[in-house]
Amino acid sequence: MTDTRATILVVEDEPEIRRFLRSALGTEGYKVVEAGSVKRGAIDAASHKPDLAIVDLGLPDGEGIELIRQVRAWSPMPLIVLSARAGEAGKIAALDAGANDYVIKPFGIGELLARVRSALRGVVRPSGGGHTLKLGGTAIDLDARTASRDGTPIHLTPIEYRLLTCLARNTGMVVTQGQLLREVWGPAHESDTHYLRIYAKQLRDKLEPDPLQPRYLVTETGIGYRLFCD
Amino acid sequence: MREHTNTPRLQAWHGYLAALLAALACTFAGYAMQPRFDLVNIAMVYMLPVVGIALLSSRGAAIFSAALSVILFDVLFVPPVGVLNIEDAQYLLTFTVMLAVGLAISSLRERARLEETGRINHAIEAERERMRSTLLASISHDLRTPLSVMVGASSSLAEHGEQMPAAERSALALSVSRQAQAMAEQTEKVLQMTRFELGDLELHRDWNSVAEIAGPVLLRLREALAQHRLLTDIPGDLPLLRVDAPLIAQLIGNLLENAARHTPPGTVIQLGARKLEQFIEVTVEDNGPGLPEAALAGLFDRFREQRIGNTSGGVGLGLAICRTIVKLHGGEISASPRAGGGTRFTFTLPAEAAPQAPAEQESAQP
Repeated sequence: MTDTRATILVVEDEPEIRRFLRSALGTEGYKVVEAGSVKRGAIDAASHKPDLAIVDLGLPDGEGIELIRQVRAWSPMPLIVLSARAGEAGKIAALDAGANDYVIKPFGIGELLARVRSALRGVVRPSGGGHTLKLGGTAIDLDARTASRDGTPIHLTPIEYRLLTCLARNTGMVVTQGQLLREVWGPAHESDTHYLRIYAKQLRDKLEPDPLQPRYLVTETGIGYRLFCD
Repeated sequence: MREHTNTPRLQAWHGYLAALLAALACTFAGYAMQPRFDLVNIAMVYMLPVVGIALLSSRGAAIFSAALSVILFDVLFVPPVGVLNIEDAQYLLTFTVMLAVGLAISSLRERARLEETGRINHAIEAERERMRSTLLASISHDLRTPLSVMVGASSSLAEHGEQMPAAERSALALSVSRQAQAMAEQTEKVLQMTRFELGDLELHRDWNSVAEIAGPVLLRLREALAQHRLLTDIPGDLPLLRVDAPLIAQLIGNLLENAARHTPPGTVIQLGARKLEQFIEVTVEDNGPGLPEAALAGLFDRFREQRIGNTSGGVGLGLAICRTIVKLHGGEISASPRAGGGTRFTFTLPAEAAPQAPAEQESAQP
């Protein structure tokens, strides 16, 4: 699957969960490093320089969110959170601390692998310059601020471009409502979620073949949005 | 329950008034009797209200009635008339007897009342107990069946997996996975209902659109709805709602799943939304066989499915959770027969004046 054998750090204290993660990730061709605590995870993250880390939120020596903050302070590697908690608040806190995505326990391995692939792909792609998004028949040049659908130019507003730029930084990954509102409208508008609803609808009407069941601009209910590209 | 605690207090107040009126009535009767009856018989007449009040009202009113009777009898009938003659041992005895009768009757009555309350509490406790055992029965059924499959299938894989054809192995593994998934969902529902009942839930409301909440639900339920024909009718210009989006997503999801589970394949399921005066109304309707009138009542109660013979899984918490979510948002939920056959579930959510986003300055466009 991956020719370069990406290294994945798994920080999870339950040995049985580590077992099936190791097995599945190994089968997919990833090199797996395992840690069972915040402390061990921080050391392994620094020494192995993994391409991605999967972090359980409840660890024996502290909260996984601590590890996320530590790693995010020096590395842009994608971080996927394993969350057993049903509440949205914990997930949002982890995402705002620097995590890129989350999977809720119990999860099917297919779901986790899809997130891992998506996260690794997101990193490889937009390495500076030429920010062009392809969403089905729609092509968007974020730098030149031009867009066309099926060859015909379409008009996007400055805020729509800013929103897309923000989401495109990590395509396929979750960006929280708070992050989007802060970046696009400013810190004073952090809880003006109606701005997001109105612009998400506008964008979908312009970009999606079926705005009710979007393929590209996807809502993570109660959390935020993801942008998928082709 | 509330009625039972209020009733005696009302009677107590009335009791004192009744004691006063009865004593006055006895006084008139006493005057009428005086020429022809002995004093002791007039005393017997004064005994009547004491007995009556003790039977019908509180202990306090009975004591009041006894005291009032003795005083009136003593002052108005025992010579010298017009003076309260407290030294005469005879009439002290009269008073003591009246008081004793009054107290005895009211304590008997009190005991009977306590027994009645105990009986009612017992009935409530029994109902609670019944609910608890229904819950236990349904949970243990809902958990044991998938657990049996999981233990059986996974141990087969572990012990004989190598001798099995690959297709057999994946089929067993898949069934373990599916059962576990179903069990996880049930567990989540039970936990959620428990949280609701403990009042351990805070709504996280923000502005949302019905369409945007419904989209991911339809995506998540793609497989569950694959055998049905899904139609959607959600106008793009519906106003935004201030709701807890994950809960509303769950509500819509539960109703759609419910429709898919209880109607045969090929049935049309329609998800619609429209603006009413002060509400947004969301409907999930199907053109399936429909539900008998009797089943429509109490549809949103807990454990309903178990009671009407559930064969399709689920502890019957889905619709109870729906009702709780709608109530928490200040809306209404109902189920009715659909015109032309099938069932129609409707819930409303209050629509507030939705804010607008500030207009953009298009001149900023390069």
